[in-house]
Amino acid sequence: MSESILTVRDLQKKFGEFEAVKKISFSVNKGEIFGLLGPNGAGKTTAISMLTGVLEPTSGTAEIGGFDLRKQLDQVKKVNGLVPQDLALYPTLSARANLEFFGRIYGLRGKDLKTRVEDVLRIVSLTDRADDPVGKYSGGMKRRVNIAAGLVHHPQLLFLDEPTVGVDPQSRNHIFDSVRRLNRERGMTIIYTSHYMEEVELLCSRVAIVDQGEIIALDTIPNLIAMLGGGVIQVGLQQVNEDLLTQLRGIKGVKQASLSQSPIAPPPADGEAKDVSPNVPTYPVVKVETLNSQEALVNIIHFFNERDIQIASLKILEPNLENVFLHLTGKKLRE
Amino acid sequence: MKMLSIAYKDILIILRDRGTLLQIFVLPFVFILVFSGMGSMGEDEQEALPLTVVNLDQGSEAAAFIEGINTAGGVNCEIMDQSAADAQLEAGDIQRLMVIPSSFSADLNANKQVALRIITHPDADDNITETIRLIVDGAAQDMALETQIVASLTFMGEMQAAMPADQQPFTTERVLQQAESQFAISHERPLITVEQLQPGELDKIEEFQPVTGTQVAVPSFTVLFVFLSAGVTALSIYNEKKVGSFRRLMAAPMSKASLLLGKMLPQMVITISQVIVIFGIGMFLMPLIGLDGLVLGDHPLLVILIVLVMALCASGMGVLIAAVARTENQIGGMSAVVLWVMGALGGAFFPIYLLEGFLGQVGKAVPHYWASKAFYGVLVRGQDISGISTDLLVLAGFGLLFWIVGVWRFEFDR
Ligand SMILES: Nc1ncnc2c1ncn2[C@@H]1O[C@H](COP(=O)(O)OP(=O)(O)O)[C@@H](O)[C@H]1O
Ligand SMILES: [Mg+2]
Repeated sequence: MSESILTVRDLQKKFGEFEAVKKISFSVNKGEIFGLLGPNGAGKTTAISMLTGVLEPTSGTAEIGGFDLRKQLDQVKKVNGLVPQDLALYPTLSARANLEFFGRIYGLRGKDLKTRVEDVLRIVSLTDRADDPVGKYSGGMKRRVNIAAGLVHHPQLLFLDEPTVGVDPQSRNHIFDSVRRLNRERGMTIIYTSHYMEEVELLCSRVAIVDQGEIIALDTIPNLIAMLGGGVIQVGLQQVNEDLLTQLRGIKGVKQASLSQSPIAPPPADGEAKDVSPNVPTYPVVKVETLNSQEALVNIIHFFNERDIQIASLKILEPNLENVFLHLTGKKLRE
Repeated sequence: MKMLSIAYKDILIILRDRGTLLQIFVLPFVFILVFSGMGSMGEDEQEALPLTVVNLDQGSEAAAFIEGINTAGGVNCEIMDQSAADAQLEAGDIQRLMVIPSSFSADLNANKQVALRIITHPDADDNITETIRLIVDGAAQDMALETQIVASLTFMGEMQAAMPADQQPFTTERVLQQAESQFAISHERPLITVEQLQPGELDKIEEFQPVTGTQVAVPSFTVLFVFLSAGVTALSIYNEKKVGSFRRLMAAPMSKASLLLGKMLPQMVITISQVIVIFGIGMFLMPLIGLDGLVLGDHPLLVILIVLVMALCASGMGVLIAAVARTENQIGGMSAVVLWVMGALGGAFFPIYLLEGFLGQVGKAVPHYWASKAFYGVLVRGQDISGISTDLLVLAGFGLLFWIVGVWRFEFDR
């Protein structure tokens, strides 16, 4: 049933020696809202730029709307709509003049152009202010025009690159609504890029988690969260040896125990993760994947108490995408 | 026609940008006014212009005449012998040469008309030549008048001496009358005439066309500001990249060529409207405020041709700057400095294209030089297409070079 509108094959981009996108492959189904989640510098914008013809890939290709990215770029460009990360607008021109220009460079003219511009102005609820220079708009309104500019030519596949950066909560909700409506009412496929896991969780059916130019996980959100199992507990200790890890694995409720690649980062201000100890550890951290975090927690504490081993820090990772990322990379999405 | 959409959009943006409009249209006007005003004020304090003189006359009149020119101010005579002077004029080491014929004193004393010739090097500035000619002419008139008056007074004195004291024929009234009639004669039939000639055309006497500072100042400043506005194109490209709208252009179904052409086209429009506005001011407004007006001369179509070639060249320059400059500062500040210096070298403030020697050579390295020289050829010297074809070809060559390097170095992915 799921027909793919985008199939990416070994797409790679190098800037000199630096490989910003490392031969990624994935596909997106028609009618999906697909998320690209990753921290700043992960390579999301670079990947999108290649898929929209802004950057030439170093190697690899993609098929978009049945056209080959390398060989049929002009057709691909008509399928695509791009909403760049930056406010890519002309500030001294009105919203209407901006939108008319972006329609014209897709070949729209005359009455057709006019009706489409009015249509997208309605989608982003800016008809009233359409003749004011964009430079005078609030940040949220600019974002909405920015989105509208990618819609004038009615693309089948819309790339939204971090469309909510620097936006007030109200405009943000408005943007989410618009994205959902475009998807539901107009059947537009959407690729949504963000480093906010909440947005991706809220909007997307499937998510590719990107880090350092690679896709490190790709699945539906429930499946991704299931990677954390019953939850992950990070335990900081003075000393860790293989023997201890083996014993930990034997505890009831524990699925896996391993030495974490990197030490735990300082606790976040918004309290997404629960901290038992506020100390920033400078000691090894054991990552314990559980079948049931509550049961495992009690048993683990009991285990260490019995052996008189001091626990330096203890952290329970909530089952969310943020922690999936932390679990996969040992890093936080936002630093 | 997406190219035209880009150009149209850019022109809309420029029309809303007061700073740019000021730079494109108002600043040149201010400069022309200030500089043409300063030019006429500064004339009194100007250093004396050199004039090489070959004196073939043995009599005392020629020496007095030279003395007369030197004391009139503005021109400083340097005496040289004929062969040396001819050689130096040939080599372009001197620009002008005046020959005083051997019969000068004799003819003057015999009340016969004498022709003086100022022979100019082909590259000599006609404005300067005309200034020198006027000063020499003035001195000649004084001289001739003096000679005539002295001659008639001497004559009267001799007659008087021969008469008995009570029948003196010359009363004060008669002397004054005599003097006045000499003034009138000297105006109607000057004893000394000054002709301006180029070497090898001693027989051909050109009809003299008055040349004003406007003829030089207006086109030179036009050239300066036309190339300065290349920064507008560069900045517009830079801004598209900075804001990110360049990504949108790249993501649209449009060739890179039409993208670049679309960005260059407004530069052509700017150049042409700049010329129309600045020349229009020169032709119609400057006479209204008491300055000399610009005269298009006999070849207005050639003026249009120069403008078109210059427009191509300036738009190529815009892309070149956009391709080479990395930061806004480099475009806004550095390119402005470079363009001002190039403009100065090309003759915006002083007609360097008329100079010999090092400075005149340096100017050749900038397109401004060739554009100014072409304008000068058409507007001042009245040259036709054959006279300015080299200038136009070199200017077009510069344009082509800018385009090729600009497009080659242009980074679409930055
Ligand atoms: N034009 C470029 N030249 C060199 N490096 C670049 C260029 N564009 C992006 N990069 C680098 O590539 C990496 C990925 O960048 P980007 O795709 O913008 O990440 P994201 O959008 O996920 O934040 C970053 O390290 C960035 O510095
Ligand atoms: Mg990005």
